[in-house]
Amino acid sequence: MTLTRRQFAVGAAAGGGLLVAWYLWPRSYPSPLSPGPGEHVFGGWLTIARDGVVTVAVPQLEMGQGVNSLLAQVAAVELGADWRQIAVEPAPPSGIYGNLPLAAKWAGLWSSVPSLADEADDRLTENFARGEMFAATADGTALEAFELPIRNAAAAARTMLAMAAAERWDIDFEECEVADGFVTYGDERLSFGALVEDAASYDPPDPPPLRPQAASEGPIAGEAEAQTAFPRLDLPAKVDGSFLFACDIRLPGLVYASIRHGPLGQPELSRFDADAVKGMRGVVGVVRSKRYLAAVAESWWTAEQALKAMRPVFRGPPGFDSAAIEPALEAAFDTVEPEAIVSYGDPGELLAAPSHTSRYMIAPAVHASIETASATARFADGRLELWIAAQAPELTRRAAAKAIGIGARDVVLYPTAAGGSFDARLERLHAIEVAQIAQQIGRPVQLTWPRVQEFQSLPPRTPVLAELAAAFTPGTGGQIAAWRTRLAMPATTREFGARLFDNATPESAIANAAGQADPLACEGAVPPYAIANIAVEHLPVTLDLPTGRLRGNSAAYTAFCTESFLDELAEKAGQDPFLYRMALLGQAPRMADVLRRATRIGGWDGGRRGSSQGLAMVRMGSADGGGRIACVAEAALGAGGVQVTRLSAAVDIGRIVNIDLARQQIEGGLIFGLSQATGSSAAFKDGKPVPRSLRGLSLPVLADCPEVIVDFVASEAAPFDPGELGVAVAAPAIANALYSATGRRFRRLPLLSERQ
Amino acid sequence: MTSMTVNGRAVRFAMDPETPLLWALRDAANLTGTKYGCGEGDCGACMVHVDGEALRSCLITIAEAEGRLITTIEGLSRDRSHPVQQAMVAEQAIQCGFCTPGIVMAAAALLAKTPSPGEEEIKAAIPNLCRCGVYPRLVSAIERAGRVTQRSDTISAAPAPGISAEDAAREVPALSVPDAPE
Repeated sequence: MTLTRRQFAVGAAAGGGLLVAWYLWPRSYPSPLSPGPGEHVFGGWLTIARDGVVTVAVPQLEMGQGVNSLLAQVAAVELGADWRQIAVEPAPPSGIYGNLPLAAKWAGLWSSVPSLADEADDRLTENFARGEMFAATADGTALEAFELPIRNAAAAARTMLAMAAAERWDIDFEECEVADGFVTYGDERLSFGALVEDAASYDPPDPPPLRPQAASEGPIAGEAEAQTAFPRLDLPAKVDGSFLFACDIRLPGLVYASIRHGPLGQPELSRFDADAVKGMRGVVGVVRSKRYLAAVAESWWTAEQALKAMRPVFRGPPGFDSAAIEPALEAAFDTVEPEAIVSYGDPGELLAAPSHTSRYMIAPAVHASIETASATARFADGRLELWIAAQAPELTRRAAAKAIGIGARDVVLYPTAAGGSFDARLERLHAIEVAQIAQQIGRPVQLTWPRVQEFQSLPPRTPVLAELAAAFTPGTGGQIAAWRTRLAMPATTREFGARLFDNATPESAIANAAGQADPLACEGAVPPYAIANIAVEHLPVTLDLPTGRLRGNSAAYTAFCTESFLDELAEKAGQDPFLYRMALLGQAPRMADVLRRATRIGGWDGGRRGSSQGLAMVRMGSADGGGRIACVAEAALGAGGVQVTRLSAAVDIGRIVNIDLARQQIEGGLIFGLSQATGSSAAFKDGKPVPRSLRGLSLPVLADCPEVIVDFVASEAAPFDPGELGVAVAAPAIANALYSATGRRFRRLPLLSERQ
Repeated sequence: MTSMTVNGRAVRFAMDPETPLLWALRDAANLTGTKYGCGEGDCGACMVHVDGEALRSCLITIAEAEGRLITTIEGLSRDRSHPVQQAMVAEQAIQCGFCTPGIVMAAAALLAKTPSPGEEEIKAAIPNLCRCGVYPRLVSAIERAGRVTQRSDTISAAPAPGISAEDAAREVPALSVPDAPE
C-alpha cells in the first residue's frame, strides 16, 4: 500500500463532529455508518464530537485479547488525545476495513491463483479483502492490518484540528502542539471539542504527517504490577455484569432456543417425538431442519426440556469413533506419498540413516470457551438483525442471509464481543441456525448451544501424528546435519477454508480437502535453528472428523514436536539442552537473547535428571520480523497428574504497543498451553463426544495455576501479536521438565494420554 | 409461583419450580450478568450468593431457592464499588470477561467470611474456570481486595456507571458538556 494512492474523505458527523476516513483510490466503498439528518458520512475510523469524545471504530472482534483497547490506543497516541476521552465502537462491514495481511496469508483458501495474492499489497489481495469486506480477526493480524490506517486517520484529524487552531491564532499549523486532547501554542490552548467544527472544513496534507514514534510502551524491570498508562476500556462493564454478550441481548418478545445436532457421521435428522411437547408449558415452537432439531421456549431451560422429551434420532452410518484416528495416521506413513512443504539443502540423502527418530501423537483439542455458541436474531419485513460474536463477520452475515433466502444487504450484523473464542467463532453454523429459527418462529430468538453440542459440533483442532528424524554430522558430538519433520494429518486448514469461504458442510469440506498438501497446517514446523538440511513434509490423511482452527494453531503441535525432539537430541549428544540450543542460534541473536533471559529468570540449572526443569522456545512469523518466546518450566508427576509449579518466560514481540495487554496475552497463552498439556482433548464414541462435560477435560483451575513470570525484551522491531506464543511454548517446556523429573519421555498431547 | 428476594427486591417467578435459578435470573429477570457455561456446575460462571453463600445457580432450582436472599453480580454493588470489583479492574485480572461475574461473586463471598484470606484459602474458594488465563493475577487481586475490605488499602480503578457529562467534564479537561456555549 503506497501513500500516493490514498485519498482523504472528510465529513461532518451527526451533532457537528468530525469524521475522518481513508479512501483508496480508485475505488470507493459503501458507507459503513448510517448517516443522520444533515450528516455527510463517508465511513470512518474515528469521530470527534463537540464535547470532546473521540470514538474509534474497531473492525476486529474483541474476544478477550484487548483489541478494542489496543487499536483505540493507536488512535489516541497518534491523535494526541487524553485516554479518558476515548470511546470505541465496532466497525460495520465495509471495504475500508479489509484485512489485507490475513487475506494474503489465507490466499490458498479463497483464491484459485494464490500465488498472485499471497502478499498484502497484491492487487488481487486488495480486491478480495476490500471488495468482499473481509475484516476477519485471526492469526494475530490486527496491528499489521490496521495500525497504519488508524494512524493515518488520526494524524489527519490531528492536522485538521491544528489547522483550525492555527487560523484562530494566525500562525502556521506546524507550530501547534497536540497533546492530552488540546491543541496548544505557547500559552494558548483549545480543546478538540472547541475546534472540531472548524477543523472539518480543512484539507489536511496527503499523506498526513505521522508522529515520529508509533504507540509503544517499554517493559520496566520489576514493574509487572505497575499501573498501565492505557487501562483496558472494557473492564468496568465486565466487572459488574453489564457487558453484553450475544446471549445477553434482550428484545421485546424474545424467546429462547436450544438445539441438537447429529453425532459425527450421522448428520441428518431422522425422527423425533413431536407429540412429547404438545401442551408443554412455556414451549413456543419446534424447528426441524435437515441437520438439526431446535426447540423454542419462554426460557432456555424449557427449550432444553423440550428437546430431551422429543428424543431426536439422527441417521447415517455408525458414528465416528476416535479410536480410528491413530491407526489411520500411522498407516499414512506407509501408504501416503509425502508432500514436500519446505526443503533446504539435501536432507533426503543425509537422513537415509538417521541418528535419531521419534514419533509424537497429538490428540484433537477443543476450545472450551466458557461461552458456548450463541446468537440473537430478529426477522421482520424481510430483514434479519443478528447479534453475534463473529471472527469473520461479513462471511457470517452472508451465510445467514443465504440460509433464509434473503440478500446480505437485508441482514444487519451487530458485532458483540466473544466470551472467549480461541478461534471457535471463525465457525458460524449457529448464525445460520438462528436465522432459520427466527424466520420460522416469527419472533426474536436467542439460540444458545448446550455445552455438549459445543463439544460435538464445533470442529476441534486436528489430530497429528508426527515423525521427526535427525542426522548428526559424524564426529561432532551431536551437531545436527539434517532434520526432517513429517506430519500425518488432515488438510485441516483447507477443510476450514472450504467451510468458511465456500459455505461447505463439514462433510463436503473434508471431501474437498482430501489428499491435498496443506502448508498452513505445517506452519512452524521448520526448526528455528541453524540446520543446513531441512525437510518438512505433509502426509494428507482423510478422517471422518471435521477439524478446525484453535488458538496456537499449527504452532501448538509443531513446537511440541520440534522442542521435544530437540531435547531428545541434546540428551543423545550428552549436552545441556540450553547450551545445545545456544550452539544452534549463532545466526539468531534475538532467539539467543530470549533463551538466555528465560534461563536466567527461570533459574536454569542445566536440566539434569531429577531437576524437574524443562526448556522450550518458539519463533512465530518470519525470521526477520516475527515473535519469540523461551520458557523454563518446572513440573513433576504427582498423584493428581502433571503438576506444573512454575513457568518463566522471556518474550520478544518487537515494539510493544501495550505492555499489560501483551502480558495478559502471554500469561493467558501459557495457561492455555498448560491446558493442552494436561487435557483439553476430544474423543468420540459412536459420534458422540467423550467426555461430555467440561469436568472431563482436566482444565486447570486457579489451584493448578503455576507461578508465572514473564519478562519482555525492549525492541524497536516490527510488532508481533503475543496471543499464540505462550500457547506454543508451554506444552514442550512442560514435557521436557517431566523428562528431567521422571526420566520418561512423554510424546503425546495431552501428556498423560494413552492410545485409544 | 416461586418467591424469593433478588438483589433486595421481592420476586415471584411464574415458571416451572424445577427451573434452575440460573435461567429464572437470566430469562425471566433479565439479570444476564450471571452466565451459562455448562449447566452442570463445572465452570462457575453462574455463581451467585444464596443467603450469603456462593452457589452455582445452575445447580439450584427456584423451588429450592424459595424464600432465600439471592444476590447476583448486578446486586453486589450499585456502582462497582465492591473491593473485589475494584481490585479485578485495577489488576486487569479480566480478559474476555465471561467468567468474571462468577469469579467476582465467589471472591466476594470468601471475603465476607474471611477478610484476610491466605493464598491457599483463595485457591480453594475460587473453583471457577477461566480459559483466557487470568489465574496468574487472581490471588493478588483478591488479596488486594481483602486489604481494601479491611481499609488498609484503597482503589479507584473502575468508575461508577452513568457518570454525567458535567462530572466527566470536571474530571477530564479534554471533555466539555455537550452543546455548552463556548
